[in-house]
Amino acid sequence: MDNANPTILNPSDLPSRRADSSLKTRDDGGTGLFDNLIPHYNYLSDPFDSPVSPSDSEDDSLEDIDAQEIYDLISSISDPEHPLSLGSLAVVNLPDIHIQPPPSPRSSISTVLVEVTPTITHCSLATVIGLGVRVRLEQALPPRFRVDVRIKKGTHSTDEAVNKQLGDKERVAAALENGTLMGVLQKMLATCE
Amino acid sequence: MSDIQQYLLDCDRNKREASSVAQRSAARLQTPDLKLLTLIEQLAEYCNSEDGATRAKTMAYLAEVLGFVPQKVLSLQQRILLCDFLLSRLEDSEGLGPCAKGLMALEERGKWDNERVVKIMETLLAHTSPLRQYKQQSERYPVLRLVDTLMARYRDALRSHHEASTDFLSRFIAYFDGEKDPRNLMVVFSILKVPMAEWNIGAEAQELFDAVFNYFPITFRPPPDDPYGITAQDLKDRLRDCIASTPDFAPYAFPALLDKLDSTAMNTKRDVLHSITSCVVEYGPRTTSLYSITLWDALKFEILNVQEEDLAHEALDGLAAIARTLSQGTSGPLNAYLRPIIKECNEHLEDAPTKQSEASARILHKIADVSAEVTNILLAGILPNLFHLFQTAETMAKRRGLLEVLVQLIRANISVYGDWRSMGTDGEQAANNPLAQYRDQALEIMVNGLETAPVNEVSFRLVCLEGLLQLSKVRSLLSDESVGRITQLLHSVVIHEEPYGKNEIKEASIDGLVEIAHQKPQVVVDKAFPAFMAQLPDTDVDGSKAYVPVLEAFAKLGSEDKIFDTVILRLKNKFSSAVKQNASSAYIIALLSAILYALVQGANKLEQNPESSTYYQDIALPLLQRTSSSDASHPEALDDETTLDLVGRICSTIIRSRSVHQQNAIATELYTLFRATPQAELPPFNPNAPLDTHRSMIVSTHLLASFRKEATLPCELQLLISSLAEYVQQPSLSNAVRAASLRQISLVINKFYPTAALKTCMDPLLSAPMQLFNQEKLDPPRIRLIFACLKAILLRSSPILSTLYPSLLSFLAHPQHGRTVAHGFATLLQPDDLLSKQNHCLISGLHKQKTFALLVPSITQAFRDATPENKPNYLVALSGILKWTPFDIVVGEVAVLASLLLQSLDLQREDAVKEAAIGTLTAVLQERASAIEEHAGSLVARLLANATATATAIPPPKVRVAALRCLTLMPEKMKLEVVLPYRKQVVRRLTAALDDRKRGVRGQAVRCRSRWLGVDEVGDEDEDE
Repeated sequence: MDNANPTILNPSDLPSRRADSSLKTRDDGGTGLFDNLIPHYNYLSDPFDSPVSPSDSEDDSLEDIDAQEIYDLISSISDPEHPLSLGSLAVVNLPDIHIQPPPSPRSSISTVLVEVTPTITHCSLATVIGLGVRVRLEQALPPRFRVDVRIKKGTHSTDEAVNKQLGDKERVAAALENGTLMGVLQKMLATCE
Repeated sequence: MSDIQQYLLDCDRNKREASSVAQRSAARLQTPDLKLLTLIEQLAEYCNSEDGATRAKTMAYLAEVLGFVPQKVLSLQQRILLCDFLLSRLEDSEGLGPCAKGLMALEERGKWDNERVVKIMETLLAHTSPLRQYKQQSERYPVLRLVDTLMARYRDALRSHHEASTDFLSRFIAYFDGEKDPRNLMVVFSILKVPMAEWNIGAEAQELFDAVFNYFPITFRPPPDDPYGITAQDLKDRLRDCIASTPDFAPYAFPALLDKLDSTAMNTKRDVLHSITSCVVEYGPRTTSLYSITLWDALKFEILNVQEEDLAHEALDGLAAIARTLSQGTSGPLNAYLRPIIKECNEHLEDAPTKQSEASARILHKIADVSAEVTNILLAGILPNLFHLFQTAETMAKRRGLLEVLVQLIRANISVYGDWRSMGTDGEQAANNPLAQYRDQALEIMVNGLETAPVNEVSFRLVCLEGLLQLSKVRSLLSDESVGRITQLLHSVVIHEEPYGKNEIKEASIDGLVEIAHQKPQVVVDKAFPAFMAQLPDTDVDGSKAYVPVLEAFAKLGSEDKIFDTVILRLKNKFSSAVKQNASSAYIIALLSAILYALVQGANKLEQNPESSTYYQDIALPLLQRTSSSDASHPEALDDETTLDLVGRICSTIIRSRSVHQQNAIATELYTLFRATPQAELPPFNPNAPLDTHRSMIVSTHLLASFRKEATLPCELQLLISSLAEYVQQPSLSNAVRAASLRQISLVINKFYPTAALKTCMDPLLSAPMQLFNQEKLDPPRIRLIFACLKAILLRSSPILSTLYPSLLSFLAHPQHGRTVAHGFATLLQPDDLLSKQNHCLISGLHKQKTFALLVPSITQAFRDATPENKPNYLVALSGILKWTPFDIVVGEVAVLASLLLQSLDLQREDAVKEAAIGTLTAVLQERASAIEEHAGSLVARLLANATATATAIPPPKVRVAALRCLTLMPEKMKLEVVLPYRKQVVRRLTAALDDRKRGVRGQAVRCRSRWLGVDEVGDEDEDE
C-alpha cells in the first residue's frame, strides 16, 4: 500500500450541484418546508382536465453538461487502495476540470480536460486512477466530447511519463485488454452511481 | 414364534412393525405372562450368533423393549443385572448404539450410584475408545448422549473419579478425538464443557483446549435439505462457549486466536473477534490484564485499516469488552491497558484529519462509553493534548478533525453521566464529571468556531455546532446561561445568516434548537422565541419575504413536546395581528401553513386529551367565525381558496379527535359556519346564494371529513346527497369549490350510510329525474359525480359494485366522452387525503383486490372486442387502475396484461398513461421478471423509443427517466441469455440519451448504459464466486 493514511475531506465540503440551484429556485429563502404540507394527492388534483403538466414547459430549457456534472461522474469512483471516493481524497477536484467548447462553429467536438492529483507524489497507482477516470468518462459522455486525462503538473514524480501513457490511445486500448487491470477498474467504477 | 424371532424377521422389512413387537414384549413383562429371565434366555441364542448383524439387532430389540417398559416394573435387582449384561456386551464390536440406548433406558428407570457411573464410564473407555472407530454416526450418537447424561446428572461422581485417578481426563479427552459429524459435535462440545468449567484441569488444560480448538474455525455448511436443523452458527456458539469457559485456557486461547486473526478469510476473522470478546468477558479481570496490551496491539489494526466495516465493529466491541472487564478489577491494570491506547490516539491526532484520526475517534468513543472510570482516564489523557494541538493547528481541516474526536468523547460522556432528562449508565454521578474541568475551554473554542469561521467552512462549523449541542445536553454540566448562549448562536444562524451551499448549517441549527428544547425547554422559550418573534412582522407592507425561513424554523420547533403549546400560541397571536393589520394573503398563508405544520407535528399531543384541550376554542372556532363573517372584521385574505383550504385543514386536525358529543355541536353549523343566515339559504341547498358563500364549501368539506361517523348531520341524509348532486353540476362553480363539493358526496356516502342502506344509496340518483347512468345524458360534470360516488362505495367493498361497474365499463365505448371516463379510472384507487382511516372513513382492507378483480379482467376482455378508435380508452383506464394497485395483486395477471401494457407505450399524447405503464412494467421486472421475458425484444424497443427523441415526438423528461430506469433493471432481473442479444442495440442507442437536454435524464442514461455495458461480464463474475 502506497499511502496507508491519506487525508480525507468531509462530504459537506465537496462541491455539489444543489448548492446553487436550490438558491435559484426558492427566491423566498425558505427550504420549502410547507410545500408538502398538503399531500400531492389532494382532492384538488383533477385528472379530467390536466393533461398539460408543468414539467412539459420546462422541457425546453437546455441544461448543458458542465464541470460539476463531470465532477459528479468521476468523484464517486473508488480509490484502488482505500474504500474511499476520489472526491473525498481530493484526487479529483472541481477547479481541475475544464471544458473547452468546439474550436470552430463548424465543429461539434468539445474537449474535457481532467487533471488528477495523486495523494502522494510517488503513487504507483496514478496511471490506474487516470485510466479509471478516462474509462468512466468515455462511457458516460456523448461522443461529441473528447476526453483528456492528465496528472496535475508537479503532483507526481513521474507525471510526464504517466501523461504520455494516458494520452496514448493504443496503449490505453492495450491496457484495457489486460484482464487483471480491467478487474481493478471494474471494482473502482462499481461505486459509481 | 418368540418375540425376538418375530422382531428379527420384521426388523429389515418394516421398522415400525418391529417396534410394535418390542412394545408388545414390554407390555407382557408387566404381567406374569413373561418373566425377564425368560426374555433374556430367549435372546441367548441370537446374542451369540456368528452373524454380527443378528447380534446387533438382538441388542436393538432389548434396547427397544427396555425403552417401552413402564417405570417401576423393573426392580433394582433386575436393573443391576441388566446393566451388567449390557456392559458385558460392550466388548462386542457390534451393537454399540443399542447398548448405549439400553443403558439410557435403564438410567431413566432408576438413578445409579456413583460406583456404577464410574464403572460404566470406565467400561466405555476400556472397550470402545476412540469412538471414531465406529463408522456409523447412528452408533456413536447414542453413546455421546449417554456420556452427556452421565456428565449432566452425576457431576460429583465423575469429578471425584477425575481427582482420584491421574490419567482419567486424558483418556476421556482422547475418547472423542476425531469426531466429525455436526450432530455429534454439538454433544461433544457440551460434554467437554463440564470438565472445562467445573473440574480442576491443571496439566491437561492444553490437551482439553486443543480438543475443541482443533475445530476452529467452523466451516460447516448444512446440506440444503438438512433434516436436523443444525446451523454453523449453533456449532460456532457452542465452540465459543468452550473456548471461553475457563481462564486456564488463556495462555493457549489468545495466541491461537490472534494467530488466526491474520487469516485472509473474513469469516475466520469474524469468528476470532467474536471469540476474543467472549473470552475477555468470561476470563475475568485478572487473566485479561495479562493479555490486554497484546490484544490492543492486534485488534487496533482492524480499526485503523478497515477491511470490512463489520470487522471493525467487532474489534471495537472487543476493545470495549477488555476495558469493561478490567474496570471490574483494580485500577492498575486498567491504567496499563489505556496508556498505550491514549498514546497511540494522541499520535494520530497529530496529523488529523486522516483515516487514522477518524479511527481514533471511533476507538475513544467506544471505550469511553464503558464506565465513568474509563471516561475519566481517557479525558485526562486526551483532552489536554487535543486542545494544545487545536491551538497550534495550521489548517481548518485539522481543527475539524480534532473537534470530531472531542465530539465523540462528549457523546460517550453523555451515555455514562446522562443528559438533563435521564441519568447515565453509572447512576447519578454528574457531580463528579471530569468534563467540567474542560467545560470552559471546549465551550469557548466551539462557540468561537461557529461564530467566526467563514460560512464556506461548512464541515468545520458543523462539527462546532454538533459539539456545542452535545455539550449542552450533558447532565448538569453547563449553566442555563451557557445553554442560552448556544441557543442564541443557533437562532442567529437561522435568522441572520445568508444561505450558503446546501444550507446544512441552517438545517443543523434548527434541529439543534429542537434538541436543546427537549433538554431545556425554558431556555429556548426565553432566548430563541423573542428573537424569532421579532423577525415576524405584524404585516408585510414592504412585500419582503424574509419571514419565510424564520417561520419555517419556528414551526419546526413545535415538534418538541414541551414547547408545542407555546409555539402554537405565538403563531396564533401573530396570525391575529396580521389579520388585523391587513397583511397580504401570501403572509397569511405562510402563517396558517406554519400553524398547520406545527399541529400536524404535534398531532399526538392533540389526541392526548381531546375532551379538555382548548385548541378548538382558541384556534378553530375563531378561525371559522372569521371565515364566515361578512362585516368589517372579515379579512380579505380569507376570500382566497388556498387560504380557506388551510383553514379547513387546521380545523379538521383539531376537531378530528374530539368526541361525538363535541362534534355534534359543530355539525349543526356545518354549512352555516356560525353565521345567522339559515342553512336553507346557503350552498349546497341554495345554488343561487351570494357568490362569497360558495367558497365556504371548502371549509365545510374539511369539517365533514373530520367528523366521526356517529356524528349527526345538519339535515336528512338523502336530502343532503341530492342537494349536493344538483349543486356540483352548476357550471358557475370554481374548480376548487366543485372539487370540494364532490368530495363531500364521497365523504357522506362513505361514512354516514349504514351497511344495509348502502345497497340502495345510489337508487335516487340512478332513477328519474337524475338518471345518472343514462348513456345519453353523459357529460363531464356527471362523469365526475359518478366517480365521486363510486370512490366512496368501493372503499367499503360493497357488493353493489358488481352491478355498478359494468355500466361504468360500457361508458368507455361512448363516442364522445369515452376518453374522459377512461381518465376517471385513475381516481378510483388513488390515495386520498380526505377519505382516510384517520378521518373515520370506512375502508375495507380488501377494496383494492375487489376493484381489481371486478374491473381488470373485463377491461382486457373488452379491449379485444373494441373498435380501433376505442382501444386507447381501455388502455388508459387500465393504466389508471394499475398505477395504484399494489403489485402482489397484479402479479397473477401479469401474463395477460403484458401485451396491453406494451401497447400503452405506443399511445400518442398520453404521457401520464405511458408513465404509469412503465411504472407497472418496472414493478413486474422487480418482482416477476420471468413473466415478461418472452416480450424482452419489444420491451427494449419501446423503452428505447420513449427514452430518446424520435422523429415524430419527444416524450417529456419524466417519461424518458422512467423508461431509462425500467431499462436499467432489465439486465439485473432477466436471465443473461435473454438480454445479451440486445446489448449492442441498447448501448448504441443510449449514446443519444447521454446527450439529452435534461441533466436528470442524462444521469439515468449513464447508469443505464453502464449497466448494459456490464452485461457480457456478468457471466465471468459468476464464475469467480
